[in-house]
Amino acid sequence: GVEIRQKVVQIDPKEQEDFDRELKALLQESLESRKSEARSRLTLNMMVPMNVLEGSKDPRAIESESGEETVDEEGGNVRVKVLMKKGHKQQTKQMLIPADSSLVQSTKQQEAAELEE
Amino acid sequence: GRRACGGGCRAQLRGVSWSWHRGGRVRAKHKEVCLHKDSPLGETILECYNCGCRNVFLLGFISAKSENVVVLLCREPCLNVNALKDMNWDLSQWCPLIDDRCFLSWLVKASSFYQIPSEQEQLRARQISAQQINKVEELWKTNPDAALEDLEKPGVDDEPQPVVLKYEDAYQYQNVFAPLIKLEADYDKMMKESQSKDNVTVRWDIGLNKKRVAYFVFPKEDNELRLVPGDELRLRYPGDSAHPTWQSVGHVIKLTAQEEVALELRASQGVPTELNVGFSVDFVWKSTSFDRMQGAMKTFAVDETSVSGYIYHHLLGHEVEHQIIRNTLPRRFGAPGLPELNASQVLAVKSVLQKPVSLIQGPPGTGKTVTSAAIVYHMAKQGQGQVLVCAPSNVAVDQLAEKISSTGLKVVRLCAKSREAVSSPVEHLTLHYQVRHLDTSDKSELHKLQQLKDEQGELSSSDEKKYKALKRATEREILQSADVICCTCVGAGDPRLSNFRFRQVLIDESTQSTEPECLIPLVLGVKQVVLVGDHCQLGPVIMCKKAARAGLAQSLFERLVILGVKPFRLQVQYRMHPCLSEFPSNCFYEGTLQNGVTVNERQSSGIDFPWPVPNRPMFFYVQMGQEEISASGTSYLNRTEAANVEKIVTTFLRSGVVPSQIGVITPYEGQRAYIVNYMSRNGSLRQQLYKEIEVASVDSFQGREKDYIILSCVRSNEHQGIGFLNDPRRLNVALTRARYGIVILGNPKVLSKQPLWNSLLTHYKEHECLVEGPLNNLKQSMVQFQKPKKIYN
Ligand SMILES: [Zn+2]
Ligand SMILES: [Zn+2]
Ligand SMILES: [Zn+2]
Repeated sequence: GVEIRQKVVQIDPKEQEDFDRELKALLQESLESRKSEARSRLTLNMMVPMNVLEGSKDPRAIESESGEETVDEEGGNVRVKVLMKKGHKQQTKQMLIPADSSLVQSTKQQEAAELEE
Repeated sequence: GRRACGGGCRAQLRGVSWSWHRGGRVRAKHKEVCLHKDSPLGETILECYNCGCRNVFLLGFISAKSENVVVLLCREPCLNVNALKDMNWDLSQWCPLIDDRCFLSWLVKASSFYQIPSEQEQLRARQISAQQINKVEELWKTNPDAALEDLEKPGVDDEPQPVVLKYEDAYQYQNVFAPLIKLEADYDKMMKESQSKDNVTVRWDIGLNKKRVAYFVFPKEDNELRLVPGDELRLRYPGDSAHPTWQSVGHVIKLTAQEEVALELRASQGVPTELNVGFSVDFVWKSTSFDRMQGAMKTFAVDETSVSGYIYHHLLGHEVEHQIIRNTLPRRFGAPGLPELNASQVLAVKSVLQKPVSLIQGPPGTGKTVTSAAIVYHMAKQGQGQVLVCAPSNVAVDQLAEKISSTGLKVVRLCAKSREAVSSPVEHLTLHYQVRHLDTSDKSELHKLQQLKDEQGELSSSDEKKYKALKRATEREILQSADVICCTCVGAGDPRLSNFRFRQVLIDESTQSTEPECLIPLVLGVKQVVLVGDHCQLGPVIMCKKAARAGLAQSLFERLVILGVKPFRLQVQYRMHPCLSEFPSNCFYEGTLQNGVTVNERQSSGIDFPWPVPNRPMFFYVQMGQEEISASGTSYLNRTEAANVEKIVTTFLRSGVVPSQIGVITPYEGQRAYIVNYMSRNGSLRQQLYKEIEVASVDSFQGREKDYIILSCVRSNEHQGIGFLNDPRRLNVALTRARYGIVILGNPKVLSKQPLWNSLLTHYKEHECLVEGPLNNLKQSMVQFQKPKKIYN
């Protein structure tokens, strides 16, 4: 895992502050621009296709980049399938993400918590 | 956002991540990001799996509860949809794409452009100046692969040769201006072609001419690009299992009040009118106007007859002997069908008629269109052939054509072919209308073919040939019989005028056109030229900073003024309440502006509005809210000011003012968009009322007027300065749009640092018009001004 934030240091705190303020404004503005979109009108299209869950190898159903083997962890990385849409077609792409990334970490914690229950 | 992988996407992502690393500023011009083909996900535009939203500031990953499957989901609204909670997704662990000021490193890692910087690289990175970042970002526009090192390569960072006052000859002139026009053209092309939009929803219609018209919303973000009628767009359908891919080019024929675009398609067959969603729109860039400028400069250089000898040397800044045109002057200088001229207008007409080159300065509301029309009338009566009348904008040309036509002269308004379907207030004067409606028996053949073409959409090739020949002949006939031809400056380069010669040319709004643009109408044989404009208002818009810095933004009018040609100034203004014209007159026109309207004529009778000083319909409303960077990252907004703009608008409406009387103006696109949005959501009166109120940028309001103007200044910060507001010409334009009253919203603490604003604030304070507090209880403000920083020259 590579940590950027530990290395990029020595930034003028004033600049940092300005930056944070601008970033916050950007986020807020983005959020607000979307809030008007009526949630009720929104159609959900979030079903995970069965073939993805089952690890189907039918290339016509999903375009999986390569890698039959879905080893869970390799060299500190976790292999995940990113589900995307190409037009109306669902497809997955595989990619490695660092095991210490917050996405993996939070999922793991969640799993652990569920096991404990 | 740019769609295709041309590397432009790379530049965008780089633009985002770069700024992030710098920790300096958010300069994310595009909220949309396309990953490079070498990134872990390959060439992919990041978007919400559920709704397709591409705003990276809103996107994050969620994972499925059981499997190693992740998707991108937007925070608003998708993450908050209740129904999702019951599904297989773990919403609580949503992980944003931009985390701790950085783009998720593993997502962009391993692509060639985005390497996690090594220690060494970072050391170097820290030494980059803001100026260098700007330069690299400018390089990305033309070379997406550019790196910091490229700044050091010879040639790349070279500033082009700047404009000068005097030129040896027309070749030197061309050598200076041609590269600047090229720079501007390249920039324009880059920018427009990057404006593709996907997921566009279309509704279909058929025009009176039986052509297909597609209506759709082309989201108007606060970016630089504005669509105008006549623009060419390509509408595409990417195709799906049931429908083939399809595309057609068309012209924008109008923009509705709801910001909907009407596109008249060239294709008549195979249009997928059964479909409505999933279309894409691209901008089709045209080089025509730039080609015509280059062509005019070439003609100026190689063709001795293009302009008279006197004008040739005059334009190049050479010493020329004073010349008088010996014409018998008319007994009266007014013209039939026009209002009576005032003394300064009469003098202007008289002096112009005797000089081969003259400049007329028309401050706001001084009747320069009427004066121009009178000049053209007398020129046409001198019998030296047809007069050519131009302006940079179509709106100005239309206004002038109408005024000139009312003197009884025969006027033809020549429109670009791409604008023939655009409705015009002077349609009866347009060439294409006259061709269709010329009623003589020998035109019956043309009419027959036209009718056939309208009905069938196309003609057989032999008929088409005949039709074109007949049409061309008729066009020439109509043009030849005109006293005056009106077109835009660029329109003067239309091939239909290539065999025409014009000895007398008048160019209105000439201070808003670049020199090469101004040259297009001149190189058709000019012997007498009149440039009308006002160099104390805003000049031409130049998008490419490099070209602007080199002087492309300076008009020919301005250069002639600097060379010592004294413009003739119109001095009586008929627009503003006398108390509104006082400051602009003193500040921009040496106090020479006289009022042609009285206080009584500008009394807002029956309007119950809380002006702090009765009979003085103006105030500066003190605002302390902070400015913010707008969502696009390239503009500013100010929420407090926007909220108060809405209150003022509502108060005006309640007091009996109608929406069409009110104009809200602001220097920033970000604020313009925000105010429109804010009013429609928070206005306490009927929605429709707010929709009818024009909210515009100061720049786009030049040449216009409203009874009441509300000006939102936006800038309010500790250290950043006031940007756009620094330009005195923008302030002049902003202050001179109102007829009956003006309200200015701004932060005096910040604005007073600039000398000109300082004197404006002092002016308002002295008249007890600097106020704060709630609108129904305005109190004089005691806010302290800052010392102005530099003396404005
Ligand atoms: Zn973009
Ligand atoms: Zn790309
Ligand atoms: Zn979404």
